[in-house]
Amino acid sequence: MKSRRSRVPFLCVAALVVAGPILSLATVAVASTTTHTPYQTGRANAGTPNSTTVVRNTKTGAIVSYGDSAITYTAPSPSLAVLGQSLFLENCASCHGTQANGVPANGTAGAFPNLVGLGPATVDFWVESGRMPAADPRAIQAKRRPPRLDQAQALAIAAWINSLSPSYPDIPSPNLTNANVSDGAALFALNCAACHTIEGDGDALANGTFAPSLRNIPAYQVVEAVRTGPGNMPRFTGNLSDGQVADIVKYVTTEIEHPQNPGGFGLGGLGPVAEGFVGLLLGVGLLALVGFWVGERQ
Amino acid sequence: MSQTVNTKRTQRESEGPYGKVGKSLNELDDRLGLAKGGRTFMDKIFPDHWSFMLGEIALYSFVVLLVTGVFLTLYYIPSQDLVTYHGSYLPLDGQRVTEAFASTVNLSFAVRAGLLMRQMHHWSCDIFVGAIVLHMGRVFFTGAFRKPRELNWTIGTTLLILAIVNGFLGYSLPDDLVSGTGIRIAYSIVLSIPLVGSYAAFFLFGGNFPGTDIIPRFFILHVLIIPLVILGLVGAHMGLLVRQKHTQFPGKGKTENNVVGSPMFPVFMAKTTGFMFVVSGAIALLGAFAQINPIWQFGPYTASRISYAVQPDWYMGFLDGALRIFPSWSFHSFGYNIPLEVTIPAVIFPGILFNAVMVWPAIERHFTKDNDMHNLLDRPSNRPKRTAAGVSVAVLLSMLFIASSTDVIANFLHLSLNTVLWAMRILCIVTPFIAYPLTYKICREMQAFAGAGKRKTTNVVTRTTEGEYVATAAPVYVDDAHHELDAMPVPTFVQEPDVVIEEAGVRRVLR
Amino acid sequence: MSEHEQRTPVMLSTVSSDDPRLQPAARRPELVEKVIAVTFFVGILFVAGFGACYWVNAAPWTLGATFGGGLTFLGVGLIAWGKYLMPRGPFVEERHTLANSPEDRDAFAAAIIERGGGVVKRRKVLGGLLGAGMGIFGIVAAFPLVRSLGPLPKGTLFHTDWTKGTYLVDITGRRVHQDDLAIGSIMTVYPEGLQNTDNGQAVDQTVLIRISNENFVTQKGRETWGPDGYLAYSKLCTHLGCPVGLYEQQMQLLVCPCHQSMFDVTNGCIPNFGPAPRPLPQLPLQIDSAGYLQSQSDFNQPVGPGFWERS
Repeated sequence: MKSRRSRVPFLCVAALVVAGPILSLATVAVASTTTHTPYQTGRANAGTPNSTTVVRNTKTGAIVSYGDSAITYTAPSPSLAVLGQSLFLENCASCHGTQANGVPANGTAGAFPNLVGLGPATVDFWVESGRMPAADPRAIQAKRRPPRLDQAQALAIAAWINSLSPSYPDIPSPNLTNANVSDGAALFALNCAACHTIEGDGDALANGTFAPSLRNIPAYQVVEAVRTGPGNMPRFTGNLSDGQVADIVKYVTTEIEHPQNPGGFGLGGLGPVAEGFVGLLLGVGLLALVGFWVGERQ
Repeated sequence: MSQTVNTKRTQRESEGPYGKVGKSLNELDDRLGLAKGGRTFMDKIFPDHWSFMLGEIALYSFVVLLVTGVFLTLYYIPSQDLVTYHGSYLPLDGQRVTEAFASTVNLSFAVRAGLLMRQMHHWSCDIFVGAIVLHMGRVFFTGAFRKPRELNWTIGTTLLILAIVNGFLGYSLPDDLVSGTGIRIAYSIVLSIPLVGSYAAFFLFGGNFPGTDIIPRFFILHVLIIPLVILGLVGAHMGLLVRQKHTQFPGKGKTENNVVGSPMFPVFMAKTTGFMFVVSGAIALLGAFAQINPIWQFGPYTASRISYAVQPDWYMGFLDGALRIFPSWSFHSFGYNIPLEVTIPAVIFPGILFNAVMVWPAIERHFTKDNDMHNLLDRPSNRPKRTAAGVSVAVLLSMLFIASSTDVIANFLHLSLNTVLWAMRILCIVTPFIAYPLTYKICREMQAFAGAGKRKTTNVVTRTTEGEYVATAAPVYVDDAHHELDAMPVPTFVQEPDVVIEEAGVRRVLR
Repeated sequence: MSEHEQRTPVMLSTVSSDDPRLQPAARRPELVEKVIAVTFFVGILFVAGFGACYWVNAAPWTLGATFGGGLTFLGVGLIAWGKYLMPRGPFVEERHTLANSPEDRDAFAAAIIERGGGVVKRRKVLGGLLGAGMGIFGIVAAFPLVRSLGPLPKGTLFHTDWTKGTYLVDITGRRVHQDDLAIGSIMTVYPEGLQNTDNGQAVDQTVLIRISNENFVTQKGRETWGPDGYLAYSKLCTHLGCPVGLYEQQMQLLVCPCHQSMFDVTNGCIPNFGPAPRPLPQLPLQIDSAGYLQSQSDFNQPVGPGFWERS
């Protein structure tokens, strides 16, 4: 017969009432102190027509393609520009403006960036990876999604924007036959692993941004990302030759996207965090259960 | 009744009643005198409770560590000399790597059962430390560290520290990108020690980071020096256990002056040997199906490479978490620098923590003024203050473990990294102070409730002829296994030969 | 009667062989025995399977699965045998007091104190000298264990190999030209010739980023340090020495992947979040006549994490 009312629930609620506001105030205070004005992106100078093989249109003199044995960069056909403009007005102009020069919004200049002069590869990357048209224009970083526009439509939009002010890099097609996966692994470890993790799973970065996972990305999109540096990703231009980029692409499309995992389940590539969970919950936990069976008197 | 004495019969008689085995045992007793001690040992009683099995998980995973470790030492080369890797893992082919790394990759790919042994070794280390922590928790919460077992508690805490250190040294041996980062952090922690930090770091590493001495030094510490100390301490730990006998929970027939349970031989030996097989089997199954530490994917360590989402193995997580959340307070003055943002979380905090844990029996004696011998265990709810203190420290450490994976949490929950870090800072400070009164209250509640934690008995409701309902406890079936019988001493099985002596010098035996 | 007949064991007086405590715990021991037999048999099959898988060099998971499965089944069977088929108990043994009698304890203490102490008391000078000898020996015996391990740090932690006119090179040894990087680019650079040495990688490693097309001034007094918008910072985090390789180009942040310290690149890499206490030291740059990047001098501060003498 209990004569005392239980005071445990009261204490739990009291603890939550005290801790709750403190925690929420703290998170709000932190989340609202971060404002960064993005800098206007400049023009890349690698993946540019400095190589020996440049193919030009004989009539207009415009560059059709350039590159070397490792990567060939092809400009989108100018005839697609008309289609591209109408697609742009349907899908992109509401944020990026009818002249693709960025619409100031929220009083933050450049929040919806000026696309003129960014080059076809940039536009193609954002559209074909599904990040654009943006699902949430106010999100600090767009997420990769199933693309709304297919490859032909993306190329058309790229062609139109390129027609406003021709720029580089053009749409890359890497040739991986002579790429060296071992060099690629070394370059990946030095240049890419710091954000994308050595296993290519991606992780959270500052202020709500993140480095995405590298699984299931076609080879040419990897080249586009490396050469154009989308969003907060730095761009790798003159510091990586086309051959080196092809090496990295070969490594990413083989070992990162299809890890060998001879030791069993890869545990999500999370390293010791996942291993600790499995070791403690499955290992020690199950063994403690067996110990329960062993030790208890029947 | 035969009157003759036959020499053949005499020979067979000298074998004794237990045949050839008995004869061998007698020979051993002639030389070692182990008959009496051996019998006493085999009669030793080991009490039955599931929580007494946790230390055995640790013991048997240590055995697996030793056995798999010997295998690994036959193939691993503890050298930081650079070689060019040529092997079956193509993404490394042609890269300049240390011999330590190359030999570990070869062990994983080119040696038959090598990968299995490596993974078993690593998994059993994770389980070893986890089991030690659980076992330590059981000993703490049941008060088994009290007189006369304080020394065993100190030995056990030392074993925990050695296990953690040896684990760190072990997973650093392959010299891969992830563990090499850990070694860099360890160097900086040593460097941060006031007054002697730079000297200690230079002595430990043979110079500036990374040098070429650290992997060979880690190796000899990991396979020889620390395992020898651990073996010795485990021997002392078990020896004290045998000498002082195991503690037991209070119950029917159990007093401060006896031990009730199963005899060592054959019952306990069967169960414990079976448990050893099960622990080894579980580790082998983990080693088969769950990949751990895939160093070939990480690549070799070079000082200018780094990966994201890098955490140490779980038992070092509390240090990493403390380093992440501690604010950037550094102390400069008079031309000297104390990097408190490193020294406090990585040197002072673990120092205070482990020292306090090690002398906990003395701390508790100071508060309870209890100098009696204790062979019966407490129920944790009967000691609310001790239980609450233990739970709040455990909560603090759990928060620090979680804090070591702030980036993974932020990625998983789609939160800002900054938010997660601030949340962890607040949680680590606040939750222990919530846990203490909460646990205290729960223990008090359980104390007030008489049947808390005990097996429930069924009631039989009968109706008397007057219409009254009476509830009585159900009769316990004699065959019911839960029925607690009175304990008996271990029966002796001794031959009582029928001996007749009729003539001096002649011994006849009836058959 | 046969001469080799075994004798049947005989219990002591008070215990009969029907005693429930000597019976198996299982209600149907024969059935349990059969189950355990099957368990053992399966275990044997697995263990034999391990041998077969090893013989044909099967995949690692098969080796582990058979080995582990076999051990588990055998172990479970053995535990079940001990738990269900062996005498159920409970059994008891008495604890004997650990402590000896007061007389024995006094005799022990007397042996140490009076015998040993008495001896020393009579030869105080010898005792003192021996004590002093052991003390000094203990101290100097530690010298080789500690001092021989490595060199003295002296000034090593205060300098790197960057000096006036050192060319910046990448990991392959190629010099960095001012046209190489676009705005928003990053690369890791080393002093020329040292890119594959321990010191070059561990101490001299530098992160080079380009944030504009014109000279960039990060702090007062650094007007010439950022020619053409190139900024060079030590890659060693000032918290615990991890390479700060994570660059967010739009936010102009260098983030350390180990414990998430965040450094503001435009402002001399002052840390604005996380546990790092000091800014990343900046390497003053210059561009030679052919357009290749060089360092003007060493870093403005000792690189890497803090230590006592650092000030």
